[in-house]
Amino acid sequence: MTPVKLLAAAALVVLVALGATTGAAAQADDDNVVLTIGLTQDLDTPNVTAGELVSSYELYNLQYASPTDLAAADFATEPGLAESWEASDDGRTYTYTLREGLQWSDDTPLTAEDIAYTINRARDEDWLNYSSTVANLEAEAPDERTLVVASKVNDPRLPGLPLYIVPKHVWEEVPADGVGTYAALDGVGSGPFTLSEWKKGQFWRMEANPNFWRGQVAIDEVVFRVFRNADAMVAALRRGEIDAAHNVPASSFPDLETEEGIVAVAGEQGGFDYLVLNAYDNAPERDTDVFDAPHPALTDLAFRQAIAHAIDKETLVERVLNGIATPGTTMSPSPNPSWIPELTEEETYEFDLEKANQILDDAGYTDSNGNGIREYEGEDIVLRYAIRSESEYSKPYAEFITGWLEQIGIDTTLSTYDDGQLIEVAGKGDFDLYVWGWTPFVDPDPMLSYFKCDQVSVDASDFSNYYNDTGLCDSEYDELYGQQNQELDLDARQEIVHEMLTRFYTAASYIVLATSPDLQAHRTDRFTGWVKQPADTGPVLFSNSSPSYWNLTPTGESSEGDGLSTGGIVAIAIAGALGLALVAWFFMRRRTAEERE
Amino acid sequence: MNARFVAGKVLGALGTLVFVLVFNFFLFRVVESNPVATLYRGRNLTDRQRDELTRQFGLDGSKLEQFWRYVEQTVQLNFGRSYATNQPVIDEIWAAAPQTIALVGTATVLSMVIGLLMGITAGWRRGTNQDRVLTSTSIVTWSTPEFWLGMILLTFFAVRLGLFPTGGISDPSAGDEGFGKLLDQIHHMVLPCVTLTVAYLGEYALIMRSSIIDVSREDYLTLARAKGLRDSQVRDRHAVRNALLPSTALIAISFGFVLSGAITVETVFSWPGLGLLTFESLRGPDLPMLQGLFLLFSAAVIVFNLVADLLYPYLDPRVRHQ
Repeated sequence: MTPVKLLAAAALVVLVALGATTGAAAQADDDNVVLTIGLTQDLDTPNVTAGELVSSYELYNLQYASPTDLAAADFATEPGLAESWEASDDGRTYTYTLREGLQWSDDTPLTAEDIAYTINRARDEDWLNYSSTVANLEAEAPDERTLVVASKVNDPRLPGLPLYIVPKHVWEEVPADGVGTYAALDGVGSGPFTLSEWKKGQFWRMEANPNFWRGQVAIDEVVFRVFRNADAMVAALRRGEIDAAHNVPASSFPDLETEEGIVAVAGEQGGFDYLVLNAYDNAPERDTDVFDAPHPALTDLAFRQAIAHAIDKETLVERVLNGIATPGTTMSPSPNPSWIPELTEEETYEFDLEKANQILDDAGYTDSNGNGIREYEGEDIVLRYAIRSESEYSKPYAEFITGWLEQIGIDTTLSTYDDGQLIEVAGKGDFDLYVWGWTPFVDPDPMLSYFKCDQVSVDASDFSNYYNDTGLCDSEYDELYGQQNQELDLDARQEIVHEMLTRFYTAASYIVLATSPDLQAHRTDRFTGWVKQPADTGPVLFSNSSPSYWNLTPTGESSEGDGLSTGGIVAIAIAGALGLALVAWFFMRRRTAEERE
Repeated sequence: MNARFVAGKVLGALGTLVFVLVFNFFLFRVVESNPVATLYRGRNLTDRQRDELTRQFGLDGSKLEQFWRYVEQTVQLNFGRSYATNQPVIDEIWAAAPQTIALVGTATVLSMVIGLLMGITAGWRRGTNQDRVLTSTSIVTWSTPEFWLGMILLTFFAVRLGLFPTGGISDPSAGDEGFGKLLDQIHHMVLPCVTLTVAYLGEYALIMRSSIIDVSREDYLTLARAKGLRDSQVRDRHAVRNALLPSTALIAISFGFVLSGAITVETVFSWPGLGLLTFESLRGPDLPMLQGLFLLFSAAVIVFNLVADLLYPYLDPRVRHQ
């Protein structure tokens, strides 16, 4: 054996031995039932008023109970901290009765005053994560178990109060100008688990709250372990280092789906990818010197409908999204599918290039010079297609979509932007097409509000001050929005929303390509009782109110299935010592050989 | 070496630092975009919240006003607050730095020792099989992308053999104190450290080899041999000492890069250090964090360069007497 080979072999032995011995020694054995979840995103902040990442919302779901809960199956309003409630005659005031003996995790009594405090202070100080819910609410706590909440306007979300209630005795120490920057490591909560440790960039640990109103859960501790390398996370799941994984890469998902002992879940939460067509048609007015305009053909409904017929969503799902998604129909305003209308066959823009060509011919967009591109007022139609550099799917989407457009005689030019740039470019109206996505809240209102006329970009001092990226302004839609916003009867409200969405779909300026599911996977050997929210289609973790955690029970099996036996460790330790001796001997032998030279 | 020499070098370093400070501000503002809109897309912000966030992010006022505020704050070592976490940038950097210093520092020292030894052996036995093996190994390791090597080691030792953890710096279930914790951290550090060591050592080996070859033709070596010294004595006392000079500059600069050195490897191994922090911040983009990190990285390189400049005259009398 040459010295180099010998050295390499010795190094390998040492490496293996080091791995085995340090790994074995580091392993702690106690009887805590620990659920370990791998994810690719750290917390941004445990501060419930300010955090905005999905990871942080999971923490809030676990740490803070709400006056009312969202049913696991369909997001219906269920008793939470409040066991019952009564409505006033006008439906604007609700009187809630809280459960008896509620306590925070630090044994301080949890009373109606905590809830009233959260609602009123969040409203007065415009807390980031609360304002859309509490803006019109006024809360009072006549006694410890009675909470009266009055809304200034009709609020169809009531009696639902899925609000994270903060402990008054902790938060009253936080001044108004310090709310956004409060580090919130207090770990006082009312949910099933409370934060006990956060090692930034590594993991955060949550301990079971003995005072949880449903009773203490079967798990002692949840550890969220942050992986920056999603493939390593999948490996950790396979090895049993973690019990579940969130944000599984699409490339590993099909393998996990067929692997024994692992359940892969593509959870739908209403998120979707859409192709937006810039359909701004001079309403509401804006400064044409500053703002750009779409290609004029895009303001023609027939032209947009032709494009809608030219998009093959099935192919996009198969080829771009690895088959892990569902082709889209209308925009989805909520994770609850009951808000989405059933479209009739006539209403649906099915994939049909011939039909698309026919529509364009009929509308007078012809190719007079025979170059394969149709003309608008004598000029070739060339649309500006923007690609998002931050999305792995944006380019493949563009390849398919521009290919189909070419087949119906529409040319495109491509530009690539990062998300920050694209928000401003779109705000200026300097685009014709791009693909992006949304994930809606449980209540459909926010998502619906994005497409009102007053959400079109008109603020010349801030090109990011808008939501309506298609620029389409439909006063009828706005009218319906105002109605659903005030309608207290659920069925009647759903009917209005269905009408809005059908209307919006027909306008063909927002072509929903596919759902964007949340890819997760969990092992089956250690815990049972994973709950999908919503039922059948939703994810089991990182859902809107995370019911899995208090449903899980351990199966009693040990997690370290592939750990080494003591004999194995001793053997490897001996091998390691031999390896070290080998290296030492090698160096000494060389030295003496040289001395002799 | 005199006071003028030192003052010149220090002033030069300070000048570079000031340039970096100014450049840093504009570098991250080349791309026109509004971080409030990017970070809070789809959040239905009220106008009041939007204004408040803009103020909190220090994005109100003209570019010039923002620049003066930035200079004023930075001089007081206040790098602002991270957009992502709302916590002071300096605290976040402070918290991540020890992990990076432990990992990259260890790897740098190890690769230096192993690389220099390899270079000495290869250069001293130029043309032998040993030289050929060592030199080609160095070239291969030097040109291997670190993250790729990291992935290979991770797949083999952590996933296949299950000997090492798949990432992170400690096992959340490991003990919180004493020897167990230390072992746990060493266990986590082995793979990223080996990756970096292997990736870095080639450079040292190759530079050391060529320096050794350069000095091996010098007359003083012939003299040393003529005095009857053993080969190893000639090598260690006469050749290596003189050949180490070019490596000194490299070593000093390498220490400067310890802080910023391992963005991809830290990401592959989920190692919560400054490299990972940089990677994360780029995705926001978290401008204050990036500014703070780049300033720190640049400052580290500038300081260690200065150290090398000031050390050189001590190590090489020829520089001292010029």
